[in-house]
Amino acid sequence: MDAIDSVVDPLRDFAKDSIRLVKRCHKPDRKEFTKVAVRTAIGFVVMGFVGFFVKLIFIPINNIIVGAT
Amino acid sequence: MGGGFRVLHLVRPFLAFLPEVQSADRKIPFREKVIYTVISLFIFLVCSQLPLYGIHSTTGADPFYWMRVILASNRGTVMELGITPIVTSGLVMQLLAGSKIIEVDNNVREDRALLNGAQKLLGILIAIGEAVAYVLSGMYGPVGQLGVGNAILIILQLFFAGIIVICLDELLQKGYGLGSGISLFIATNICESIIWKAFSPTTINTGRGAEFEGAVIALFHMLITKSNKVAALRQAFYRQNLPNVTNLLATVLIFLIVIYFQGFRVVLPVRSKSARGQQGSYPIKLFYTSNMPIILQSALVSNLYFISQLLYRKFSGNFFVNLLGQWKESEYSGQSIPVSGLAYLITAPASFADMAAHPFHALFYIVFMLTACALFSKTWIEVSGSSARDVAKQLKEQQMVMPGHRESNLQKELNRYIPTAAAFGGVCIGALTVLADFMGAIGSGTGILLAVTIIYQYFETFEKEKASELGFFGF
Repeated sequence: MDAIDSVVDPLRDFAKDSIRLVKRCHKPDRKEFTKVAVRTAIGFVVMGFVGFFVKLIFIPINNIIVGAT
Repeated sequence: MGGGFRVLHLVRPFLAFLPEVQSADRKIPFREKVIYTVISLFIFLVCSQLPLYGIHSTTGADPFYWMRVILASNRGTVMELGITPIVTSGLVMQLLAGSKIIEVDNNVREDRALLNGAQKLLGILIAIGEAVAYVLSGMYGPVGQLGVGNAILIILQLFFAGIIVICLDELLQKGYGLGSGISLFIATNICESIIWKAFSPTTINTGRGAEFEGAVIALFHMLITKSNKVAALRQAFYRQNLPNVTNLLATVLIFLIVIYFQGFRVVLPVRSKSARGQQGSYPIKLFYTSNMPIILQSALVSNLYFISQLLYRKFSGNFFVNLLGQWKESEYSGQSIPVSGLAYLITAPASFADMAAHPFHALFYIVFMLTACALFSKTWIEVSGSSARDVAKQLKEQQMVMPGHRESNLQKELNRYIPTAAAFGGVCIGALTVLADFMGAIGSGTGILLAVTIIYQYFETFEKEKASELGFFGF
């Protein structure tokens, strides 16, 4: 039982601390969330498509390069 | 150690030889920073697509398949090493300095220069070492077939690519760009991967005839060409072995969840002792260590995979090697996948159905993920100088105090939040990764988390940069 206690007690303390932390946390409201989501999505899509088009352009270029060697 | 002698001084003779970007000697306008950042990104992306000259083949199973997401590397291209050299050297130097194996006084200009020089030198050595290892291990075909000339050529190409990445990152770090090159390259690589899987125009045959790889393209193509719309819709949403629409929706969901949790923070009020009691706040985020736990966990798993595959290939009959992991080539991707042993247990189950079929595997994987992320997160705050003690010291140096608390209690108050935020934040990161993998999100849970947290940080940098720009002109 001591062995189990030595594992369970820290976990219980950790869970308690975590719950207290979450309650204390400021959480984003709808407006804040939407704003961040939209901006991050834009960043995501911009970065993604930049990479996408570079890759798209290089497929034929690579075929030429590799075909030549 | 003799008085005054320090390990860092060993680096001094090499400083003259290291390529270096001059520090910006003037205030770089915001727009110029954006341009430098974009140019750096393009250089990286182009290198990621340029094929290596002289390689014989890249058709064998890729031992680094599992690692490529977080290391921004691409098979068979000039950017094969990706950001591995710079990330590895950065982590090593961070650990050495953080654990006091190397003495560094950040208040001494020379020490900072030597530390940077040491990190760069280590990055270059790692690039050379990895390039040689790649060639000798037969990644590009047997050395005998390559010939000595081609082998040396390949090593040189990889080496110079490593130098380019190091210099690009330094360019951005030295104030010419926004944020760090490492984060930029990782995030772009992941975003590109996800967009590619959604919109790729290439076709792949998996036994149902040729199909578009891109999930969205395939959806529209099926709806247009198939007479049975319902069957077409079902296939677009649930097809196997290729990206499908459900994967895409899962990716979006994980994206939104991560953004929501990013906003969680405990705001501690702080006040300046000078400057007329100026009020401020010090936020402690739930994701205190950001994406670092997932990077470390992925690095650990990837290295274990690599070692396991290497051993299995050569000693597949050995009991302990089999215990570590047994591998089999996937029918479709040509990649090796673990089928038993420790490597298998720490691999994400392929789906919820797979999870139900092998409950022990699922349970082991979940516990491993959560525990590893929590422990890495907690450890990271110590070695990266962001523990309660370090933060308290910083605030003290800035003459900041917390209202209602004596100065000596500052660290104690921080200790109530920071270790818990680090550990619990790590657990949340691990849980989100598990959830993403189970739902089949494109790009893997690891990738999505990395991309979202990096982009989030970029926007924070953006805001700060713009604010200081306006403030600058405002004065």
